[in-house]
Amino acid sequence: MRGKIVFLAGVLAALGGGWVGFPHVIYHSRPQPVNFSHKVHADKAGSKCEDCHAFREDGSFAGIPTLDKCAGCHTAPMGATAAEKNFIDQFVTPQREPQWAGYARQPENVYFPHITHVKLAKLACERCHGDQGASDGLRPQQRDRISGYSRDIWGAAGRPGMTMNDCVACHRRLRLEHSCLDCHK
Amino acid sequence: MKTTRRDIFKFVGGSALGALFTPVPWRLITDTALWSENWPGIPQPVSGEIHTKLTRCSLCPAGCAVRARCVGEQPVSLAGAAAPLCVFGLVGHHLPYHPARLKRGPVDEAAAAVAEALAKCGAEERIAVLDLRPGRTASWTYRRAMAAVPNGVYVAPRQTTVAVNLAAAKTVLSLGAPLFDGWGTPSNVIAAREHFRLIHAEALESQTAVMADVWLPVDPGPLAGEIARALKGESADAETTALARELRDNGPALVVDREMSAEVLELNRLLASFGRTVVAAPETPVPESWKKAAPVTDLSAVTDHSIRVLLIDESVPGGYVPWPQIARKLSADPLVVAFGWSRLGYGRHAQYALPTAVYPEAIDDIPAAIDSVAATFRISVPLVPAPAGVVSPAEFIARLAGLQVGDALRERADAIHKTGQGTIRSSAVRGMKADEFWKALNGGGEWTWDKPPGPPKVMRAAPDVRSDNLPLHIAVCGGGPALASPLMSKVYQESNLRLAPNYVGLHPSDARACGIEDGGRAILQTGDGQVAVRVVAEVGIRPGVVQVAASPEVLDVCGGCSSAKVVPA
Repeated sequence: MRGKIVFLAGVLAALGGGWVGFPHVIYHSRPQPVNFSHKVHADKAGSKCEDCHAFREDGSFAGIPTLDKCAGCHTAPMGATAAEKNFIDQFVTPQREPQWAGYARQPENVYFPHITHVKLAKLACERCHGDQGASDGLRPQQRDRISGYSRDIWGAAGRPGMTMNDCVACHRRLRLEHSCLDCHK
Repeated sequence: MKTTRRDIFKFVGGSALGALFTPVPWRLITDTALWSENWPGIPQPVSGEIHTKLTRCSLCPAGCAVRARCVGEQPVSLAGAAAPLCVFGLVGHHLPYHPARLKRGPVDEAAAAVAEALAKCGAEERIAVLDLRPGRTASWTYRRAMAAVPNGVYVAPRQTTVAVNLAAAKTVLSLGAPLFDGWGTPSNVIAAREHFRLIHAEALESQTAVMADVWLPVDPGPLAGEIARALKGESADAETTALARELRDNGPALVVDREMSAEVLELNRLLASFGRTVVAAPETPVPESWKKAAPVTDLSAVTDHSIRVLLIDESVPGGYVPWPQIARKLSADPLVVAFGWSRLGYGRHAQYALPTAVYPEAIDDIPAAIDSVAATFRISVPLVPAPAGVVSPAEFIARLAGLQVGDALRERADAIHKTGQGTIRSSAVRGMKADEFWKALNGGGEWTWDKPPGPPKVMRAAPDVRSDNLPLHIAVCGGGPALASPLMSKVYQESNLRLAPNYVGLHPSDARACGIEDGGRAILQTGDGQVAVRVVAEVGIRPGVVQVAASPEVLDVCGGCSSAKVVPA
């Protein structure tokens, strides 16, 4: 009986360590430079995703907007919050680009054209990025210490994964499997 | 309660079982696999905004317009902006990373040595600049510098004084000219192709031979003279007489060879092609103050053993003068400085090989190609910055001569703008501000001026070195630029698409007659020397022909000769 209890204790310790402790060890948590609220910009400023995350003239995706875009409205503090004051003092006034920690950056060996998915396939941003557009703040980026990838690529509740398997599953469902070279050019 | 060894093993066993039901082992396996995709040593492509830059390819006189796709400041792919690029142009952005690239050199030491040699120069000794691509703005700087130093002489490979108008030709006879292997402006040649009948004489079945309406598999060397005699009614050969009649009756005719030699010009004159398909080479304006520069001198006109200091600019692909021809002009104690992107050219013979910028790092203008009947001016704008250790040959030589040179390209552009002639990007220069003109040039624009061409000048014939002891006719393969990108080097290393620099090709019967097997080692001998090679026996090569690669080592031996022999090593 005692032997079974010890064995079970080992199982439980491993399960606890693996499911609770391991994520804290494997992921490095990096806070975002600005506590940006998508919700405020969408609700109060009436912004849409593509107002800031725009396509360039050549069809390439600009991704996270640069400071120039932010400074278009935030030349002076818009409101009296500490976050707004911090943003103006730390970034807009000294013209210092915020070093955002992206959640969804794909590795260099992947070619992912946003324009094909958004304009041609009419996919909503939320389909891959979840409800990021309705968030009131920015979560810290959790970066895998070994692979260097963001934790977000594995997906979570309300946030689908962005691994190759996820891409393949969607393409297979829509009968759009063509070639490895579609993404790995 | 005492913990026993058995308890520890049971706990560890339980932990091992439990761990299998956690993400730990599976995540570690996945992460390790992902990490291995990015471990040290794997090149990391740059990230940044994707944008386009426009420039001109300076690898050959065609000067094709280039659209470079850049990520950040790094060009990642090149494409033609107006017409497709050749294979060299497509991979031109690889050149800065060539394994043989020179990035550092003893610049100060070389400058001191040249200054010392200049001070010791005797009255009969000369300082010379050998410019492999004359006609550039840098070439004018060399000529001005040589005019400023005592006994200075500006030397360039033999240049044709004519331009050819393929669009006006109805029949074209090519005597070994690589019309479809990079000759002239490839897009012009291809555009004009359907309007003329092409008769091509060459011992090899080259790309031009394949594209010709008629291929004459003969040595093209003596053909010009034979046709000229047939036109004068002095030839009894029926085939040559028929060819001469075809050229005369289906005019306007144009006869071309690689360099538009004197024999070919004489043949064009007999065919009444002067002023129609053969015109004087157009001249691009230069500032008035530059015209006091030293004249262009042919190397053969320089006295033997007279050059004390020789400065060679091979920073851009151009003509190649075989080293034996240069060596006989050098004095007993010469100083040779080569400016190049590698040591593979004249750097092998120089005391100092100084590194230069290479396309697409260098800013340079591109002189007109042989098939350009309009005066042109276009600039190759850098796409990437040059390494810190490289030197500008023009600045180096101007400084030695004590010549104050500012922005020579801008000066020349202003001189062209001042004429008010010509167009750039379909806009007339007249009425355009100088800054706008300069900006258009820097954006890949080409200035052209369709000035009515004058009558061509006839050149002196070059002596042809032939000998009965050298039974094989030399055919140089490839007409592309001397610079080969790493990608093109890989092509010949892993395929038979191009002849490697140390290989020669022979027909199997010739190889047998020489006592050499396919892949065997041999010595290639000409009147200028010999070089060790390997032999490829290939039935596609005509009997009596030795095919050689256009590499500096081989051209040193074959460049000034037309016949050779191959003997076992």
